[in-house]
Amino acid sequence: MTWKEETDKIHQRRELAKLQGGEKAVAAQHRKGRMTIRERINALLDKNTFDEIGMGAGDAELDEDGNLVEFSPANYVLGFGKIDGRRCIVGGEDFTLKGGSPSAAGQRKSVYTEDLAAKYRIPLIRLHEGAGGSVGGTKKASLSSPVNEPHRFRSVAEAMARVPVATGAMGAVAGMPAARLVASHFSVMSKSTAQVLIAGPAVVQRAMGEKKTKDELGGADVHTKNGTVDNASEDEADALIQIRKFLSYLPSNVWENAPVTACDDAQDRQEEALLDIVPRDRRRAFDMRKVLRWVLDQESFFEVGKGYGRSQITGLARMNGQPVGVWANDGRHLAGAMTANGAHKARRFIELCETFHLPILSFVDEPGFMIGSQAEREATIRHGANTALTAAMANVPWASVMVRRSFGVAQVAHYGHDAYVLAWPSAETGPLPVEGGVAVAFHREIAQAADPDAKRRELEEMMAAKQSPFPRAEAFSVHELIDPRETRPMLCRWIDRIQPLLPPLLGPTGFSIRP
Amino acid sequence: MATNINLETGGSVWKMHVKPGDSVEEGQELFIMEVMKMEVPYEAPAAGTVNAVHIAEGDVVEEGQLAIEIA
Repeated sequence: MTWKEETDKIHQRRELAKLQGGEKAVAAQHRKGRMTIRERINALLDKNTFDEIGMGAGDAELDEDGNLVEFSPANYVLGFGKIDGRRCIVGGEDFTLKGGSPSAAGQRKSVYTEDLAAKYRIPLIRLHEGAGGSVGGTKKASLSSPVNEPHRFRSVAEAMARVPVATGAMGAVAGMPAARLVASHFSVMSKSTAQVLIAGPAVVQRAMGEKKTKDELGGADVHTKNGTVDNASEDEADALIQIRKFLSYLPSNVWENAPVTACDDAQDRQEEALLDIVPRDRRRAFDMRKVLRWVLDQESFFEVGKGYGRSQITGLARMNGQPVGVWANDGRHLAGAMTANGAHKARRFIELCETFHLPILSFVDEPGFMIGSQAEREATIRHGANTALTAAMANVPWASVMVRRSFGVAQVAHYGHDAYVLAWPSAETGPLPVEGGVAVAFHREIAQAADPDAKRRELEEMMAAKQSPFPRAEAFSVHELIDPRETRPMLCRWIDRIQPLLPPLLGPTGFSIRP
Repeated sequence: MATNINLETGGSVWKMHVKPGDSVEEGQELFIMEVMKMEVPYEAPAAGTVNAVHIAEGDVVEEGQLAIEIA
C-alpha cells in the first residue's frame, strides 16, 4: 500500500491551482489587456525563480466518496523569488477568482506575505488588483477574526520599517488592497489598466449621487497629481520594470547598506554646460533636471513622484556607483516654491532615505514657502515645518549644493543636520527674495521717490549684491564656493569620504516612514 | 514625427518667438511663460517645422493646454 492515491490528489490540486479562476476568467482578464497574477509575478522576477508558498490553499468540494469535485484556489498568490539575483517576497490578489475579494485562505496568505518579508529581511513587492472585502463575504460568520488578533496594519507598518516595500496597481484596486498599495515606499499604477479607489462607481453613486467612471474617480491622472501613487506607468510591463529599478537602489533591509555598483562614469567629469545653466537674469528659470543629468552618474536618475508637489523634484540616483537620494527644486514650477504638497513629498522622501541609510544630495533653488490665500488654506506652514524638522532629525550624510536661491524658512529644510554645503557663484540667500522683500522693507522710501519704479529697482540691485555668496564663503558659512563644473568631482569625493559614516547607521531608524 | 508641446503649468504667455511655418532646431527657445514672477522658457524637443501655435502673448493659460505643434 503506497500513498499514491494521496499524492495524486496533491498533484491534481496543484494543477487546478495553476488554472486560477478557470479558462473563461483568464480569457476575460486577457481581453481587458491585463495579465493574471501568475503572469505578473513571472514577468517581475528573474526567470524561473518563483518559489511559491501555499499552492494548496483554497476551497475544495468533495463528493460522498471523498473525490475532488471542484477546487477553487485561494485568491492570493505569494512566494519567494529573485530580482537581479537578490531574494524578495512577492504577492498579489488573483482577480480571476472572486474579483480578488479575499477568500479566507487568501486573506491569511496576504497577511503572511508581510510577515515573511519582515522575518526574512527581504524586499516585499505587492501587485494589487482587487476590491477588498465584499458584503457577500460576510454571510459566513466564520470569517470573523478573533478579538486578540494583531492589528491588521501592524505587519504592514513593521514591514515598512524593516524592508523596502514596492507596490503596483495593475487593475482596479479598492478598499483594503488600496490601503496596502499606498502603505509602501514606492507605488506605481498602470495608466492603461489601473484605478485606485476607496469605493467604486456603484457605491459612490448610491451614497453620494455622484456619477463618475472608475477612471474619473481614481485613474492615474488623479492619483499621480495628488500624491496617492508615486509614479504612473504606460502599462503593466512598465510598472514591473519601474519596481525592479526602484529596488535596485535600495538595500534588502535596514540592517544592510545599499548595494554600490561599478561606475563607468568618470568621477572627475566636468560638464562645461554647468557654467551657463543658471541665467544671469534672476527672473529667468532654468531646467534643474539638466543639472541632475550632468552631475549624477549618467542615466542613473530615477524620478519618484514627478506629478505631485511639482516644485520639488525627488528621486533616486547613483554617485560614483553609490545609491543616493536626490532632492532639488524645479524653478519652472511655481518658481520652485515650497507648497504643502511639495513639503509632504519632500518629507516622505527624507524619511525613505533615512530608513534605508541613503546619503542625500540636495540641489537648492528654493525661493521660500508658497504664499497667498490658497497656500494658507492648505496649511503650508505646518507641512513645511514638518519637513524642516524631519531634515533636522535625519542622520544620513547630507550634501547641499546652493545652485541659486535659498530663502526664508523653507530653505532650512534643504539642509540636513551638519550638511556639507557647496555654493555656486549664482547662489543667493537671505530671509526673503529681494523682489518681495524690498517692496515691503522700503515701502516709504519707494513711495516718496520721484520715480518709485526706478528707486525700487535701484534698491533691489543694491540688496541683491549683498546676497552674494562670497562673504558667506569668507565667513565659513558654506564649506566651499565652487565652479559649477566642479560639482560632480566634489560630490564624488564627498561620497568617498562618508563611506565610514554609513555602517554605524544600520538598523531601524528612530522614526520610520509613514504614508 | 509630430510633437505637441503642452504647458507644464498655468500662467501667462510673456514672449512668443515662433509662428506657423517657422523651422526650428532642437533646443531652440520657442516661447517664454511668466509664472510666479519667473520667466519660464520652453524649448523645442526636436527639430522640425512649427505647424500650429495655439497661444499668444498676454494669454492667461492653464496647465496641460496645447501650446505648439511641431512636425
